Order: sequence, then C-alpha cells, then structure tokens
Amino acid sequence: MKNALEKFLKIDRRLIFLALTVLLFAPIVRPLGLPNKNLGKDVVNTYNYIEALPERSFVMLSLDYDPATRPELHPQAVALVKHALRRNLRVGIFTLNAGATGMIEDIAARIPKDIAPDKVYGRDYVIMPFQPNPVAVMTQLGINLYEIYDKDRNGNPTKDMEVMKGVKSVKDMGLGICITGTAMLDYYVAYVADKYKFPMAGGVTAVSQPGYGPYLQTGQLKGLIGGMKGAADYETLINDLEKGTSGIDALSLAHVLVIVLILTSNIIMLVLKYL
Amino acid sequence: MIFIKKHIPLFICFFVGVLTLGSYYVPNAGSENYIEMMNKWENIVAGFAFLLGLMSLFYSHFHKITRRAPGWGYSLFVYAGFLLVVVPAIVSNGQPMKGPDMTSLGWIYRFVFTSLSGTMFAVLAFYIVSTAYRAFRIKSPQAFVLFAAAFMVILGRVPLGQMMWDGALGWTGYQVTDVIEWLMSVPVVAGRRGIMIGIAIGGIVTALKIIFGIERQYMGKD
Repeated sequence: MKNALEKFLKIDRRLIFLALTVLLFAPIVRPLGLPNKNLGKDVVNTYNYIEALPERSFVMLSLDYDPATRPELHPQAVALVKHALRRNLRVGIFTLNAGATGMIEDIAARIPKDIAPDKVYGRDYVIMPFQPNPVAVMTQLGINLYEIYDKDRNGNPTKDMEVMKGVKSVKDMGLGICITGTAMLDYYVAYVADKYKFPMAGGVTAVSQPGYGPYLQTGQLKGLIGGMKGAADYETLINDLEKGTSGIDALSLAHVLVIVLILTSNIIMLVLKYL
Repeated sequence: MIFIKKHIPLFICFFVGVLTLGSYYVPNAGSENYIEMMNKWENIVAGFAFLLGLMSLFYSHFHKITRRAPGWGYSLFVYAGFLLVVVPAIVSNGQPMKGPDMTSLGWIYRFVFTSLSGTMFAVLAFYIVSTAYRAFRIKSPQAFVLFAAAFMVILGRVPLGQMMWDGALGWTGYQVTDVIEWLMSVPVVAGRRGIMIGIAIGGIVTALKIIFGIERQYMGKD
C-alpha cells in the first residue's frame, strides 16, 4: 500500500500532461455549455462606464498584446470594439506593441463583416500605426497626439478625419482602455490617467489580474477585464457569445484538474506520514 | 579629456533630468513644447537603439557559430527566423493584407508567429499543472494559508468551480465570488501595494542618483 502510494506520488508527469490534454480537447469536441452566472464586478464596471458615455464620445483602445496571449486578450478586444461601435461611440485603435499588428488586422477585417458592418472607417473608427517607445508616445498623447499620429496605418492624414473631430489629446476622449499582457497598463496609469485625469480601464491576463487591485480601489482604473473569464463575462454582458465563452468549459475542467491534483498529492502525503 | 568624457555628459544628464522632471509639474506651453521635442528625440534614439541591438545580436551569434560554441546550432535559427520574417515583410511592403488576400507577411504572422507564440505560452499550462501536483505540499501553516487562498481563487474563477461551491457550501449563504472579492481587495491589495510603494521608492532614488551624478554606470568604465 505504502509503495503504491509513493509510486503514485512520483507519477510520470507525462501522464499529467495527457490528462490535461484530454480535458482541454474534450469540451472543444463536445462543449459542456456551463452557465456563466457570476460576472466579475470590475468587468461590469467597465461595461457600465462605456454604457454611460454620451454618443460619439471617443474611446481609445490601446491593443498591446501579441499572439502569445491571444486566447485570453483577443476576445476581450473584440467584445470591447463591438460594444463601443454598437453604442455609436468613436473608436481609435492604437498599439505600442509591434506583435499586436496582426491581431489588429484581424479586428480591422472583421469590423465591416460581422462586428459593425454599418460603421465607416475614418468616420466611426480609425486605426493608428504601431509606435515604439511607449512612454514617449503616452506623454505625447496628453499634449498633442498629431505630433506622433499625424497619419493612420494606411498613411492617410488623421487630422482631417471625421472620427478625430475635436480630439487633440486624451483630454478630449471619453475613455481609454489598454489591453495588454505586459506592464503597459501600469505605464498608462502613471503617464496618462493620473497626470491628465483621464479615465482608463484595462484588459489583462488572468495571471496578472490580482496586481491591479490597488488601481481599482483608488479609482485610477474604472474597470478591469481579467483573462478568458473576463472576456466571457463581457460577451455575456453585450449578449454576443464568442471565443471567450467557448473557452470557459476547457478552462473550468483545467482548473478542477489542478485542484484535484493538489488535493490528491496532499492526501497521499498525509496518509504516508501517519500510516 | 576628462572634461569631455566626464563633466559634459554629467552636466547634460543633470540639465535634461531636472528639466524633464520639472516639466512634468509645470503645465505651460514652454514645458509642453520641450516635452514634445524630447518625445521626438526619444523615438529617433529608440530607432537607432533598436538597430544597435540587432547588430549586437547578430554579432554575438555570428561569433558563437564561428567558434562552434556549445549550442551554436541554435544560433543559426536566429538568422533563419530573422530572414523568415524580414524577407516577406520587404516583399509585401510591410502590409499583412492586400485587399481581401493575405500577403506572405500576413501568412508568416498568422501561421508561424501566432502558432509558435501560442505554443510557447500554452506549454506553461502543462508545467503549472504538473508542478501543482508535485510541489504544492502543505508542510507548514504558511503553506496551508497559501493553499486555502489558491484553492478559493482557482475554484471560484470558473463556472464549474462556482457550481461545485454552490452544491457543497451554498447553504452557508456565501458565494465563492464573495470570498474571492475579499481576498483580492484586502490581503492581495495590501501585499501588492507594499510591493508597488517599494518599487516606486527604488525608482525615485535611482533616478535622483543618476541625475545628481552619484550613479555613473551608464557612462562606461573609462
């Protein structure tokens, strides 16, 4: 008995990998359709803030994530673009991460197809080119953004676009949202939100979500979407279920596997100790 | 010579440092113009720094290959990866899409870069699960506190965990999200705030040391 338990404690990790693979694949083949009932408070706050903005307000979406964090952050970005455009807000998509350009390309291709087919580029939304050196760009956003973003990603002058009418800096915008898997959101809080009293919200990976608690408590962030669960919550709020919601089943099973494994190993350890 | 190599750089650092720090707190046209100019300069310098970094990377891997240093074969992939992205980018004129069609750059981004980045990040999940089984042993009261907090957060973040909580402990009247909310807004925030304050103080002290010439590592050894 003791030998068997000791063996089980030193189980080949490839078997654990196999179990996780099966648990991740199973809901993709046959979705469980688990209900997403408890929506995150900070996700709801983000949604409510956008809902409360007057029509044609300008929302700055800084999409600063790359393909590594795509499963968690891309559904958040898609849901936010959908919500803002459907609320008849003006959307400016920015990026300070070179790896994000392909993600933005995907959103740009989807807007006329299924996100908001009635919206017009240049009138309702604009996509800015990638800019290096985030801190310099953020400082400039608070003064005069045309000094850096004088042209959009296609090389068209931005100043004359209808979507940019009355927008010179962040002080003329309704809300800024930074979606990132890095510390970019911290920089936005320090260099843009605090300095210019600019309302900011964020979208981050689940693993970095707890780190933003202080900003939420002080009101430096108006809301926060965390991980795939946050994306699923937002999709539920806008009543448009997509990749965030479909990933929740796999995420649920993986989380339960982690709990079962931790409990099993500790029970075996206790049994071995007192056997 | 010391005047050129030491005193002038120290003066430039002090002058620009004080001016930039001051302009953060002085919101007038003069300071805004100064910041705008500095931002443009920073972007230009960042471009050259990027080029310098690239050259340094190539140089270091070139030496690894010529000296047949351990693991030199991997250095070949640095050049292969670079060419794999840069050549299509030049051919496609930097555009991932041409009308409705994907260019070679778009193809590389979607089917190589996205897949490889996703795989690298996803592999973490497998190691985390394996490590959770092997390393998360409750051997002390502190470890138990860590386990209890982790248990709640892992369980309460997903619908299946919430259903399990409701089934087992729903009678208590407490939702698992209430427990997580308390954990996140009290102990986690307290710890995080301490870390943030420490980092901020460290950053301020380092910046002041550089501005006043106490910290001179950036000037090199000469």
